[in-house]
Amino acid sequence: MTAMLQPQIILLREGTDTSQGKPQLLSNISACVAVADVVRTTLGPRGMDKLIHDDKGNTTISNDGATIMKLLDIVHPAAKILVDIAKSQDSEVGDGTTTVVLLAGEFLKEARPFIEDGVHPQNLMRSYRTASYLAIQKIKELAVSIEGKSLEEKKSLLAKCAATTLSSKLIGGEKEFFATMVVDAVIAIGNDDRLNMIGMKKVPGGTMRDSFLVDGVAFKKTFSYAGFEQQPKKFVNPKILLLNIELELKSEKENAEIRLSDPLQYQSIVDAEWNIIYDKLDKCVKSGAKVVLSRLAIGDLATQYFADRDIFCAGRVTEEDLQRVAAAAGGTVQTTVNNIIDEVLGTCELFEERQVGNERFNIFSGCPSGRTATIVLRGGADQFIEEAERSLHDAIMIVRRAMKNSTVVAGGGAIDMEISRYLRQHARTIAGKSQLFINSYAKALEVIPRQLCDNAGFDATDVLNKLRQKHALPSGEGAPYGVDINTGGIADSFANFVWEPAVVKINAINAATEAACLVLSVDETVKNPKSESAQGEAAASAMGGRGRGGGRGRGMRRR
Amino acid sequence: MALAFDEFGRPFIIIREQEQKSRLRGLDAQKTNITAGKAVARILRTSLGPKGMDKILQSPDGDVTITNDGATILEQMDVDNQIAKLMVELSRSQDYEIGDGTTGVVVMAGALLEQAEKLLERGIHPIRIAEGYELASRIAFEHLERISHKFEFDGTNIEDLIQTCMTTLSSKIVNRCKRSMAEIAVKAVLAVADLERKDVNLDLIKVEGKVGGKLEDTELIYGILVDKDMSHPQMPKQIEDAKIAILTCPFEPPKPKTKHKVDIDSVEKFQTLREQEQKYFDDMVKKCKDVGATLVICQWGFDDEANHLLMHRNLPAVRWVGGVELELIAIATGGRIVPRFQELTPEKLGKAGLVREKAFGTTKDRMIYIEHCANSRAVTIFIRGGNKMMIEETKRSLHDALCVARNLIRNNSIVYGGGSAEISCSLAVEAAADKYPGVEQYAIRAFADALDAIPMALAENSGLQPIETLSAVKSQQIKENNPCCGIDCNDVGTNDMREQNVFETLIGKQQQILLSTQVVKMILKIDDVISPSEY
Repeated sequence: MTAMLQPQIILLREGTDTSQGKPQLLSNISACVAVADVVRTTLGPRGMDKLIHDDKGNTTISNDGATIMKLLDIVHPAAKILVDIAKSQDSEVGDGTTTVVLLAGEFLKEARPFIEDGVHPQNLMRSYRTASYLAIQKIKELAVSIEGKSLEEKKSLLAKCAATTLSSKLIGGEKEFFATMVVDAVIAIGNDDRLNMIGMKKVPGGTMRDSFLVDGVAFKKTFSYAGFEQQPKKFVNPKILLLNIELELKSEKENAEIRLSDPLQYQSIVDAEWNIIYDKLDKCVKSGAKVVLSRLAIGDLATQYFADRDIFCAGRVTEEDLQRVAAAAGGTVQTTVNNIIDEVLGTCELFEERQVGNERFNIFSGCPSGRTATIVLRGGADQFIEEAERSLHDAIMIVRRAMKNSTVVAGGGAIDMEISRYLRQHARTIAGKSQLFINSYAKALEVIPRQLCDNAGFDATDVLNKLRQKHALPSGEGAPYGVDINTGGIADSFANFVWEPAVVKINAINAATEAACLVLSVDETVKNPKSESAQGEAAASAMGGRGRGGGRGRGMRRR
Repeated sequence: MALAFDEFGRPFIIIREQEQKSRLRGLDAQKTNITAGKAVARILRTSLGPKGMDKILQSPDGDVTITNDGATILEQMDVDNQIAKLMVELSRSQDYEIGDGTTGVVVMAGALLEQAEKLLERGIHPIRIAEGYELASRIAFEHLERISHKFEFDGTNIEDLIQTCMTTLSSKIVNRCKRSMAEIAVKAVLAVADLERKDVNLDLIKVEGKVGGKLEDTELIYGILVDKDMSHPQMPKQIEDAKIAILTCPFEPPKPKTKHKVDIDSVEKFQTLREQEQKYFDDMVKKCKDVGATLVICQWGFDDEANHLLMHRNLPAVRWVGGVELELIAIATGGRIVPRFQELTPEKLGKAGLVREKAFGTTKDRMIYIEHCANSRAVTIFIRGGNKMMIEETKRSLHDALCVARNLIRNNSIVYGGGSAEISCSLAVEAAADKYPGVEQYAIRAFADALDAIPMALAENSGLQPIETLSAVKSQQIKENNPCCGIDCNDVGTNDMREQNVFETLIGKQQQILLSTQVVKMILKIDDVISPSEY
């Protein structure tokens, strides 16, 4: 308490939170581990979901690491790093977001005793980096390429990867069904990088088995005017005209004004206006198109005009859907109806309006250029479909990744065990402190199989020992062995088709190591007081209420 | 809620405003969620079956709804709990997809949750339970297919369809005249159905209600009913072989859409303008007359001058007809909607055998019937009833019946009702359970128990001894190897649902089982609930 009596030199603004040194580092580690604990239970096929309810009343039920981390709204500066790596994993490979957070948390947890014992963080970091480099080399070595297989074979292999991802999700019960769907969708768009070419439409109602894939475009019936029901709703090989203009009877120019002095001219003005719109409509009809879509409104007049001529039209189609139709049907979006040549018209094998659940859908299927696909998701509740969409997104990303990099590794914790074994073996060849650190890194990697067992309610220690024994076999035949989630024993993951793309693991290890090193390298936090005083007050009063007399920062300095 | 503490026991601030958030995790979370789900199911339980009771729901504005339709009850209850909301959506999606069985699906989900709770207490992993349920639901799904019957129907033989619709209606308030209601529903659906594509657009069936009269007066009109009257009281009230001009333009001088102004600076000009206007009216009426129209239906209004002229020229007219009705009239009469007078041609006129205005009771309300149309692909169901709530409930009940008829057109398989299908599935699932090694076996058995909840509730609501009745029926099913034995709710004297003519659609039943399993899986999978504490 003597320190309190010393005159304080005020360097920073009042209320600034400064903490530094080893305690700061340890507290950062604790915070990160706490965050990793939140997502811990979501890992693997027996992972649980989180229900997160935010201030605005939105509810999300999710199993996706990145989504949970985002919704947790983390403010702790060190813990935020974990959110970022989850996000980066999500945008880079799309899956393995829980894994990456878990690994980073575990690396830090392993580092903790060393820091407490006074090891300099830089030493730890260097060893961690070496270990991650070695681990990645090992993964590359172990990865199996699926390049050079026939399309059919490749399809089934890719479906295996997708199924592994989906097995941990809510839709895991139907993973084969969805895996095939995802693979078909990804193959449909080919090498196109534009992911938005795979459309996902959500229709509440029905069961998930009612979901289906359209090899073309599907969108909900747009707002329609009187006369729409008189239009034909089914075409075979129609020509499709895509527009970005309004087909409505309205003034051509907003701020124009007409002055008439002779009432006899009145009719001519009225006629002129009608002629403009009729001219437009006539050109649409003359182009030979049987389906007219526009991003802007198609008014009642136009609807009836088209209905008279057996043409289907839909106005206010969203930009995204219109683009997708353009890509699928091979047309170009027109901004004028003049000079419509055949080349700008798209076509498809079948256009139909169909009832899906409570909605009517416009479905274009059998498109010639076929670079799009639409997945129509069905499910019992909104949150259910939302989660299904996220899960499918993960699966799509995985399949795309696997298609590009075409190397896979065994999942179910097998690859993690193998790297762990390899690193331990390697560590024995190193003299010095580094040996300990690499050993702890190796131990941290075991968290994946351990957590898989914990989540499934198995005896983790028992399973892990079995795995270690298998992996330690000198012949190396035990390498693909992982946790068998069904029986609580161990099994050859590779033979059971529990596969994940190598790039997911590589990225996860890289990102987790980087994040761990980043947290370890911080020894001081300078936190400015909140500019919104309300928030600051709330926090201060909460702290005051706990009777600690002052913020955490000052408490730290007192030590 | 605090995630971690430092060495002095002070919490880290990791999450924004973490003091104000609450967190439930692990078994506690699951139990709370299950309780919430069960609470919702309990509310609906008494509404199940032909002897089910209705609920009265008052909205914040004081509107009163009386219904026993599961989806409607839940919709209006305005629940706040997240899990309860999932149950609401469950019922809604059954409504969207099938239209019927909205109560049953919630009761089923509630029963599954109840069983899950028991298993959780025994320490079974929630996902193992969910997986067991999923396995069981697939067994039940296939079993339903096995015990289902197909029946053939065509335009003339609709008895089976009517029987199925009657089953749906028997639980509703309208069961007094369910036979006539069911007939109306089936005929309406068949009128608009596209049997080739197996597609039914329910938009083409207009359901109109009017307070007064009695339920028995409810009728199906092969045509359209418009809640309007003739624009002039002296116009004829009945037109035979009407040729109808369907207009979307008003009876008034056309206006350019561009901003405009007419400069009148002399008396002469004013006179010409006046004459012009007169001429417009004259022209319009003349054009209608010339093409041979004997009735004008107009989306917009027209002023007294036009009205007078129409009257004068003996051309009856109806004004202010809404867009949707206009479209239906056009479809029914085979006419085209005409946007301006210049385009009127005889081909574009709609044809109806009879158009009449009908007054109701002592009130001054009048409606226009457009009947005997050229193309009867649009029909109207006109509901009469003692009060508004009755009519609303009848509308909902008829909607259910329409959906059932539609589903049968899509897929003509049926299963037997009265809980017989559930009992049969329960037996099948129970028998299959023993084949599964592992913990799932328990979950599958629990699923079989949960399936009993529906016949149990049916018996309870009918004032029977639930357990006794159920076990009697169950043993009868096994003894006679007859999957048609159900609960005799109406005390007819036989348990055989085939004799009682109680049918339900196969897809409706299958959907119920799959949907409830799905939602229960979702609820079981949650082990962490993070929410702002005020909830």
